[in-house]
Amino acid sequence: MSIGRDDVRHVAKLAELAVPEEELERLVSQLNRIVDYVAQLDRLPAERMVDAFLPGPASVALREDVPGPVPLARPPAELAPEFAEGFFLVPRHGAMEDA
Amino acid sequence: MAWETVIGLEVHVQLRTRTKMFCACRTSFGDPPNSNVCPVCLGLPGALPVPNAEAIRLAARAAMALGCTVHETSVFARKNYFYPDLPKGYQISQFDRPLATGGSVAFESPERGRVEVGITRLHVEEDAGKLLHDRFPAKTAVDLNRAGIPLAEIVSEPDLRSPAEARAYLTTLRQILVYAGVSECSMEQGSLRVDANLSIRRAGDTRLGTKTEVKNMNSFANVERALEAERARQAALVEAGERVHQVTLLFNAGTGQLKPIRSKQESHDYRYFPDPDLPPLVLAPGWIAEQRAALPELPDARRSRLERSFGIPAYDARVITSEAPLAGYFEAVVAAGVEPKTAANWVMGDVMTSFNEAGSFPVPAARLAALVGLVRDGVVSHQAAKRVYGEMAQLSDGDPRAVAERLGLVQVSDQGALAGWVDEVLSAHPAEVARFRGGETKLMGFFVGQVMKRSQGKADPKGVQPVLQTRLK
Amino acid sequence: MTAAAEQGGRGAATARDVGRALRSAESLNAVLHWSQELLDAEGARVDAMAAPGSLAGMPIAVKDNIVTVEQPTTCASRILEGYVSPYTATAVNRLRDAGAIVAAKTNLDEFAMGSSTEHSAWGRVKHPLDPDRVPGGSSGGSAALVAAGVVPAALGSETGGSVRQPASFCGVVGVKPSYGRVSRYGLVAFGSSLDAISVFGRTVDHASRVLAAMSGPDPLDATTVDRPPMRVPEPLPDLRGLRIGLPQEYFPDDLHPGVAAAMERVKDRIRELGAELREVSLPHSAYAVPTYYIVAPAEAAANLARYDGVRYGPRKVGPEGDFRAVYRATRGEGFGPEVRRRILVGTYVLSAGYYDAYYTKAQQARALIADDFRRGFDSGLDFLLTPTTPTPAFRAGEKTEDPVAMYLADIFVCAVNLSGLPALSLPVGRSEGLPVGAQLIAPFFGEERLLAAAATLERVIAADAEVR
Repeated sequence: MSIGRDDVRHVAKLAELAVPEEELERLVSQLNRIVDYVAQLDRLPAERMVDAFLPGPASVALREDVPGPVPLARPPAELAPEFAEGFFLVPRHGAMEDA
Repeated sequence: MAWETVIGLEVHVQLRTRTKMFCACRTSFGDPPNSNVCPVCLGLPGALPVPNAEAIRLAARAAMALGCTVHETSVFARKNYFYPDLPKGYQISQFDRPLATGGSVAFESPERGRVEVGITRLHVEEDAGKLLHDRFPAKTAVDLNRAGIPLAEIVSEPDLRSPAEARAYLTTLRQILVYAGVSECSMEQGSLRVDANLSIRRAGDTRLGTKTEVKNMNSFANVERALEAERARQAALVEAGERVHQVTLLFNAGTGQLKPIRSKQESHDYRYFPDPDLPPLVLAPGWIAEQRAALPELPDARRSRLERSFGIPAYDARVITSEAPLAGYFEAVVAAGVEPKTAANWVMGDVMTSFNEAGSFPVPAARLAALVGLVRDGVVSHQAAKRVYGEMAQLSDGDPRAVAERLGLVQVSDQGALAGWVDEVLSAHPAEVARFRGGETKLMGFFVGQVMKRSQGKADPKGVQPVLQTRLK
Repeated sequence: MTAAAEQGGRGAATARDVGRALRSAESLNAVLHWSQELLDAEGARVDAMAAPGSLAGMPIAVKDNIVTVEQPTTCASRILEGYVSPYTATAVNRLRDAGAIVAAKTNLDEFAMGSSTEHSAWGRVKHPLDPDRVPGGSSGGSAALVAAGVVPAALGSETGGSVRQPASFCGVVGVKPSYGRVSRYGLVAFGSSLDAISVFGRTVDHASRVLAAMSGPDPLDATTVDRPPMRVPEPLPDLRGLRIGLPQEYFPDDLHPGVAAAMERVKDRIRELGAELREVSLPHSAYAVPTYYIVAPAEAAANLARYDGVRYGPRKVGPEGDFRAVYRATRGEGFGPEVRRRILVGTYVLSAGYYDAYYTKAQQARALIADDFRRGFDSGLDFLLTPTTPTPAFRAGEKTEDPVAMYLADIFVCAVNLSGLPALSLPVGRSEGLPVGAQLIAPFFGEERLLAAAATLERVIAADAEVR
């Protein structure tokens, strides 16, 4: 499977990663190299519906519905790049409305 | 042109837990922004999710109340997309192995009688945070208190055929979930949210048309309005020879208009995969059976039981069971000794009015039973009793007889007093007496009325008549 | 004891010694954050403890992808520059409860993605024996500090061999526990189904003690296995009765001659100790690296989606000026090239149309690889023995041009991560002055026996001796 420039641009958009045009060519060839390498798995026969292999517990342990004290040594305000009146702030997108 | 409308609904309900789906933060509503947060629901580096047992219990009960099959094994999956209300850049949800599938909801369609709508699936997931776009100029404010609250997503088959039907389905769905005790189901508080899919096709066509998605409806009535607007929009398009495009539309309740969302990402490629931080959710058959046994009696079952056990009409039973607390109140009143039909009338009348206003019962069931007893014993008339009820509803705890006395509404049944008024009336109307004795027996009503007037309403009408009968012989 | 050391207790003395050692090892660039103040505070804390605990004041360096409240955690990335976590990882809390001193936060490949510690935003780590060479990665900083004698033990993390491989390159012990043995709460996630906090030790005993102190189920990590914590095992008197498998796929004909010679010596020592060596085949071994480079990037792409400049870390805003401009600029500028590549690969293999071709196939392969190990052990083997790395430490810059060339450095170690098994690297000799490591692999949750056997072997191996 060959990856083209548009594929890389599309994937970069899905991953919200800005890729400058001058890096695009090199990235295309590097990604092709990687994807070609991992495509060795094509040699395996195709199977439908495969469960994910997870090495840990066979079933998830649940937690009882009991509130705990807030386990933060410092509040969100001290972590945030932009914070006011208790809210995280981001620049607004033109199309957003209070939904 | 006869168009058939095809509607499917996706309903999200917040489950009534004390803590969030994957962390021990509180779920309380209305707290200061970003005060119920922790490394997990903030999406801090290194944090990990641990599922809430109560959320799973409630979701399983919801599924069973909707007739679904609860699967012994289900899998949490990551739904990947970027948005400021989504701290991890993915939502933990369920994808191809959901908690439950294959149920149905039966309800009264305004157009087609009894209808059964299929429930495709019910799965659990975490809620996103809240965004406020108008609080700060040129900024969006993010509050993550809501991020991580447990949700059950309930997807219906596209079995609804009109906006009115959609509304009726939602009313019944909500009723079932409230009965099951799994959610407050309040659209105002955001604990129940609806997204709709609508398409149209020629009557008789079996293929589905292109569907659009409608969001941002904040009441069942607005769901109906929005879907009516969308149906009209699609019909107009098609009749003008154009195609319906797959879009997402936001409903504006103020204007009644639908506006397309400027496409966020061309199409949503959520890249679902099983969440490696969460082993499979495995529910033992014994545990599933326990949850089924713990289900409270659901609306349909309660309605039939009330009809059967108490012999009240179907209409009464439906009204009384429309809200679980009303039905409970009714049963308590009957248990306290009131005849069922009488109890039903009271519950459908004054009791329901005050419940709808206040959301509670200002007059305890035992007190109402006592008041009804006073009517039965002729101590107050039915009319007077309604006034006594109204007064008792104002007080936090009033004794019916004391209130009736204070209002001067206690009827007089004393034979002597009754005889006195009767004699006064008969001597004031000798012509009518003669006519009655001459065969105009329907004048009895006139005499009873006169006695009531002369006693200023205090005479017990049931006691008046026999005294009149005796005197008029 | 010096007069200075007599002031205060052992903790205070350790704090001063470690501070001195860190300053003298600065040229290695192995450390991202340390301060004498914090060291002294740690020393005082340990001295004030009622009982010394199982670690009794041991100074331990911590890889900078494990969160601590007192110092920043950057994962060697600009996107977390200046980030100070408001909580501490469970594993570190447990070490402190056992009396350990947190010495420093160590340098790593950015977000643990790499095999040479050349991909750090703050420069590469130098091999303690040869500054032109790499210490291995991604936990190169922790490996270098232990090898340089600055600390007797250090925490690293493994996703695809990132502790065993640098342990082999640097000539120290490196132990990866079974998946689910040590809590991941507070380990910045890279590949969630692969990640394991792991340990470097000057000796097997150091590593064992640290592991034992950290291990055990954690209610904050749903992937920890509900079994009792590991105990520090007694070394065995010899290896009589043990059967050790030699997977033929791990002994290719073109194995580096120094590594091959070292492995021959190890086999001799093992036979002398009375164990039986047996040839075995793990037929799906060739799929391990490609499988790893599908699963790990896929999980990483999702795990790194939270770094968006909204709630923590530095923020950049692109020209469009809206919230997506924040994401794209923060992430585009904040992540280094290796991390960006892996996010793109991971996003690609999960995207519509490719999921079955890559991700589903990788799950299939992973199950087959894990099955190879299980059948090997079920056939009557106690452990498997392999070289840890195909070569000794390579030169800086040698493998950075071709991403796949770097991936092949993990060829002997990453099948273990895919299977969730415990394994360790033991230094077994030098080849032209550079350390060589041998790997022992045990069945799931078999680390107590593994460490016991390794301690026995350690006693008879001349780790510093030239092999030819």
